[in-house]
Amino acid sequence: MLSNLIVTNQKVVLIIDQLNRDRIALKFITSLLSEQGEGNDIKALPIGTQLKHVASFEALLRDCANNANNQQTNPTDPITTKTGYNVILPTLADLLCYQTPAFIFDYLNKLRQSEHVRRVFLWASPMHLQHPDADYILAGCEYLAELVLRLETDSTLSLISRKPGGGVTNKRYKCQVSKTEFQVKPLTEGADTTTSPATTIQETPDNASDPGRTFKIELDEDEVVARNALTLPYERTSEAEDGNIIYTPDANDDFDEEDPDEDLLI
Amino acid sequence: MAASVLLACGLNEQKLPGFVHISEESNVDGSFLISCILGQRLRISNAGTLLVCLQNHYQHYFNAGMRLGYNSNIFLGKTFNVIDVLSDMARHGLSSKWLRSPDGLTLTEQLVKDIREQLEKNYPNRSSYTILIDNLSILINLGASKQQVQQFCLDLADLAKAHDNLTVITKLSNSDIHPLTDNIFFKLGNVRIQVLRLKSGVFREVDGKLLIERVLDDEGSYSCEQTRKEVLYKVNDRNVKIFNLFLIGVKV
Repeated sequence: MLSNLIVTNQKVVLIIDQLNRDRIALKFITSLLSEQGEGNDIKALPIGTQLKHVASFEALLRDCANNANNQQTNPTDPITTKTGYNVILPTLADLLCYQTPAFIFDYLNKLRQSEHVRRVFLWASPMHLQHPDADYILAGCEYLAELVLRLETDSTLSLISRKPGGGVTNKRYKCQVSKTEFQVKPLTEGADTTTSPATTIQETPDNASDPGRTFKIELDEDEVVARNALTLPYERTSEAEDGNIIYTPDANDDFDEEDPDEDLLI
Repeated sequence: MAASVLLACGLNEQKLPGFVHISEESNVDGSFLISCILGQRLRISNAGTLLVCLQNHYQHYFNAGMRLGYNSNIFLGKTFNVIDVLSDMARHGLSSKWLRSPDGLTLTEQLVKDIREQLEKNYPNRSSYTILIDNLSILINLGASKQQVQQFCLDLADLAKAHDNLTVITKLSNSDIHPLTDNIFFKLGNVRIQVLRLKSGVFREVDGKLLIERVLDDEGSYSCEQTRKEVLYKVNDRNVKIFNLFLIGVKV
């Protein structure tokens, strides 16, 4: 399922839709989250003319913070096991209709840094972006995003994933879309050369059929989910406290009892 | 007179979808659709209609209506109201409120304000209400940016969502020059009617093609089902004829 690949530890998710499906953006993202059992932790900005008021944007941030604090004080609430909310932004075309690119980037950054926000979803359809600098703005959003899903055709999609450690993967998938299900399957090399854009890098070789390789290096869907969910020790930045040095004296330490600066009359 | 074209477009019913967009390719004239829809709405008893004249002044719509078999003047001021931007500009010149931006409002903001006023005055007394805007390209010609036109349409779409039985019908000409703007307007509603010229050139029996795209209401979470229907049309003096594809050809 697509939701296994999208609902991961990556915080900023950009969906670039080349099929003009802006109208179902909210439903699409909500369904992905619901499939992963996160359908109740969703916050979305009001759409339409409400977007002209900066207060609506600030209210969403405040709302996330307030609700998160309330949930922490309520131990019976099941959400306490996962921190923060999934924020679904309006489509980029709607945002650009009322706000400047600078404001949008700034807001995206605020959401990214907020501890009360678990994930941010932004939907962009190039066919709906009529801003004169739309290409640059979309590139800027791609730069900020940690996960970029590109819905290329009815049957193919690509997924760029940036890990906190710096690793980047770019994979292409075959997809089978029905009204209620979005099934994906890694696209094997050379299976569909007509639809693959020249700019994307294929990283899904079929190793099972290659006897020359010693190790199985490709990952299936479940393994990708497990890998994305794992926080490595060096990524646990939130656990550090005040940078205190904890020193355990050794028996052979040679301490000087006298003050070496005694003669300075400080 | 115009029943067949409305039937083909699915606009012959009393209750219309909330937002309908007509996009007109360069070198074709889809104004007949506005006149046809106007006639159909006026004939429904107690249904209110507001016409925003941007491409033609009101007299044009009256004349077109007389040819199609209805007299819009009978309904004027009762169930039918007009915001005649063109006539106002012709009458007042540069001092027209549409050109000098009073109260610091832009052209589109002024238009939204006037539409809201009309709606507040007339909507409560009517069983349904239709706002016809002909056409949005003129707003761009009058100096509004595409972003302002987009905001204008979002305002109208919000009105349609906020009021039951309110339909907004917009038209954009030269849609092939503004494809992104056209896509955005289609997104606001579920129905788009494209008025297209014949790719094979000019033909005496047929003026052009109508492509009717309709997004079905029970759209799913991951895909939206869309129906497309194509018909040919011929605008005659007193009626509009519709032909199904492949039913008409050249006899050698």
